[in-house]
Amino acid sequence: MRITDRVFGVLLLILAVTYGYEATKFPVPFGGQESVGPETFPILLSIILAIGSLYMIVKPDEDAKWPAVSMLLELGVVCLVLVLFAFGLEHVGFVLSATPAVAFLCWRMGATPVKSLLTGGITAVVIYVLFTQVLELALPSGILGL
Amino acid sequence: MGTIELLMQGFAVALSPESIMFALIGAILGTLIGALPGLGPANGVAILIPLAFSLGLSPTSSLILLTSVYAGAMYGGRISSILLNIPGDEPAMMTCLDGYPMALKGKAAEALATSAIASFIGSFIATIGLVILAPILAKFALKFGPAEYFALFALAFATLGGITGKNQFKTLIAAALGLMIATVGIDISSGVQRFTYNSLHLFEGIDFLIAIVGLFAISELFFFLEQHAGDGLKKVALNKLKLTAKDILFVMPASLRGALLGFVSGVLPGAGASLGSFVSYTLEKKVSDKGTFGKGDPRGVAAPEAGNNGAASGALVPMLTLGVPGSGTTAVLLAMLISLNVNPGPMLFQQSPDLVWGVIAALFVGNLVLLLLNIPMVGVFVKLLSIPPKYLMPIVTLIASVGIFSITGSAIDLYFMVGFGIMGYVLRKVEIPLVPVILGMLLGPEMEKNLRHALVLSDGDWTVLWSSGLSIGLWAVAAAGLILPMVFGSILRGKMKRSKDGLVD
Repeated sequence: MRITDRVFGVLLLILAVTYGYEATKFPVPFGGQESVGPETFPILLSIILAIGSLYMIVKPDEDAKWPAVSMLLELGVVCLVLVLFAFGLEHVGFVLSATPAVAFLCWRMGATPVKSLLTGGITAVVIYVLFTQVLELALPSGILGL
Repeated sequence: MGTIELLMQGFAVALSPESIMFALIGAILGTLIGALPGLGPANGVAILIPLAFSLGLSPTSSLILLTSVYAGAMYGGRISSILLNIPGDEPAMMTCLDGYPMALKGKAAEALATSAIASFIGSFIATIGLVILAPILAKFALKFGPAEYFALFALAFATLGGITGKNQFKTLIAAALGLMIATVGIDISSGVQRFTYNSLHLFEGIDFLIAIVGLFAISELFFFLEQHAGDGLKKVALNKLKLTAKDILFVMPASLRGALLGFVSGVLPGAGASLGSFVSYTLEKKVSDKGTFGKGDPRGVAAPEAGNNGAASGALVPMLTLGVPGSGTTAVLLAMLISLNVNPGPMLFQQSPDLVWGVIAALFVGNLVLLLLNIPMVGVFVKLLSIPPKYLMPIVTLIASVGIFSITGSAIDLYFMVGFGIMGYVLRKVEIPLVPVILGMLLGPEMEKNLRHALVLSDGDWTVLWSSGLSIGLWAVAAAGLILPMVFGSILRGKMKRSKDGLVD
């Protein structure tokens, strides 16, 4: 099967066309139209991307091994955890958001729950102290308010 | 001022106690990063840039720190090649061929020491080459006009896949994607907003550091999770080192030959470190093999290691003089220079000679530090290698996030980082290379500026891009860089694979 490259080729082609189309609609810069403007380079790029994606559609490579749906879901959850960590960083502070995030990642990579939590907690505190005290870099302390 | 005087001034900078301290820290961190499976030099330097940046180090100190990390990572890569038979990055592949068999024979410590010495020779000779060649090339590059620069950037992309590149069209796609990301934001010369969709955060464009960390480090995390590689791998035990002067003399010719070949292939566009170590190994095998190569011949360790490190320093020649990196790691080094507001190119040698020569001197100092550090301390690094990735990768991810967060102190950058991580994962699955994406983001603004300059001067006449002899030459090399791999690429890759497979059975 050589379906992956075809699908991505089509997606990239759509991107190329949309990107190129958007570029043609840039407002005319102050001072009037010139021979080269802000749209020249993007249009050139969209042509290059279109050529590349057409090649992918016409002559696709062998398919890569995609993981099972359950693994893709798990990777989705990992992304969510990373996003939650970023969100929590601003709202509950560094230590409280980094601990569960690191613990979750360790656990998913095969560590036992207890060791994961320990790693998460210790890492979060050590990095917090190291960065705020030694390296003098502000990390949000959040609701712990240390 | 002559080159020698400038270099001496560089040494005055590099030998100050502060610089030596940074070189030492960088060397240790770099070796660790290079040795840890799944990190690799490009990744490591990328994670450390925002940190060095946010610590408010002076440009010279940051440069010394990060060049030592770069040099150290090259050293560290061989530890996993020799002990685990897993190359830390592609150029380290050839070191596995004789390094791992040596380790199996109970000579792991000798293999590591031999490769440390060969690495030192490789870097040392190539850095001397850099000192000689860089000013000449910089002077020559002053002749370049906007059209020539545009052609040069095109050449950089065309040859980035290297002679061993797999699918040239995918390199092209990757480059286009990177350049596209670079166009997001307010256009510098006209003030028009491009692809910002009125989001204030996009006005200044997307920081390439976020892209680098996302594309490399976060996607690596996904791959580790997918492959359940959390437990790490079995490695060969380390023995007590018995290395005599005779052993060192034995590998000396191999190291010298490897260093020279590596340097040449590092300087040439499109060849890179992979080819450097490959050519060095094959030549050494031709010259001195009596049936011992592939079974643990120390010369088979020395040659590719010297070649690999020679190429790494050689790649700095086009990077510093033309602003065009030849490999993934040098691309990241370019990112470092740009984020420190240093624009590599011929002018750099005239405008801030102290900085350039400081870096070159730092390379010498860093390599010496590494050699002195590596032979006695290799045991410590090996211990650290045995930290299972299941603890290490989450910690690295956290440190990378802290670095990104510290750039602007905004969580939005972290969302972007995760987004780039997903993009990196998908691109790697579809086998679209990541390095051209990064290079596109780095070179995009300069490339567009030169295109527009050239076209404005010619009043919109596109033929100006190939009207001088120099630009025609550059386009010809670019075309060759795109077309030759299609012809020879599969043959060369087959050869590299065969010599590696031959070892397994």
